[in-house]
Amino acid sequence: MTVWLTVAASSVGRAVRHVFRALRTAQSRRRAWFENRAIRGMFLLRQWLSPQQRQQLECFNYFEVVGCDSGKSYRIQQGVCQNVFELDGDGRPRMGWCFVPQGNLVPGDVMLAQKIALETDEWGALAIAKQFLVPPLPPFALAAA
Amino acid sequence: MATQIVMDHTGDTRHHFDAKDLKALAQAERRFKVLTGDGFTAATRQATGDVSLVRSFDPNAEETVFYPRLVGG
Repeated sequence: MTVWLTVAASSVGRAVRHVFRALRTAQSRRRAWFENRAIRGMFLLRQWLSPQQRQQLECFNYFEVVGCDSGKSYRIQQGVCQNVFELDGDGRPRMGWCFVPQGNLVPGDVMLAQKIALETDEWGALAIAKQFLVPPLPPFALAAA
Repeated sequence: MATQIVMDHTGDTRHHFDAKDLKALAQAERRFKVLTGDGFTAATRQATGDVSLVRSFDPNAEETVFYPRLVGG
């Protein structure tokens, strides 16, 4: 009886270890897949940015575009929502605009779609976008700016 | 080689085709119509870096990117 129980426990232990190993492998594959698609998205975005925008992205994690209809400047920050800011004359965010392409897209793709939309059909993009308020800069930041 | 880049959940899917091959060109045009019919927006990039929207299939475009319909977030 004792021998039988020992053998059974050992088999169960092996099976559990096997399942855990399989889960870990699946998890790392999934993580690699997510990282890979995010990298591809950023690669595509960089290809489509102007040299100046590419430099801004490298340095600040955002880039600026000029709206084709109003001539206003917008800042597109790295992200997938609430990442587009209309800038005032001093280059400070004054209003947020949220619009994204449908579907589960990676940040690079979302940012590229936002750039193309603002540079080619600004009014169309803003017509569907939702506005959000930008928190005011703290006094020390205003003084520094 | 011309390329059509379709944004999707995998990052993007690329379709390469030879613009001199009539069969491949027809297939690319069909893909263009299906995607734009589904609400995708097509855009091309000039050598200067300027981006422009494309309303109809351009057989001379080297690279066309398609992104899904925009929605308010």
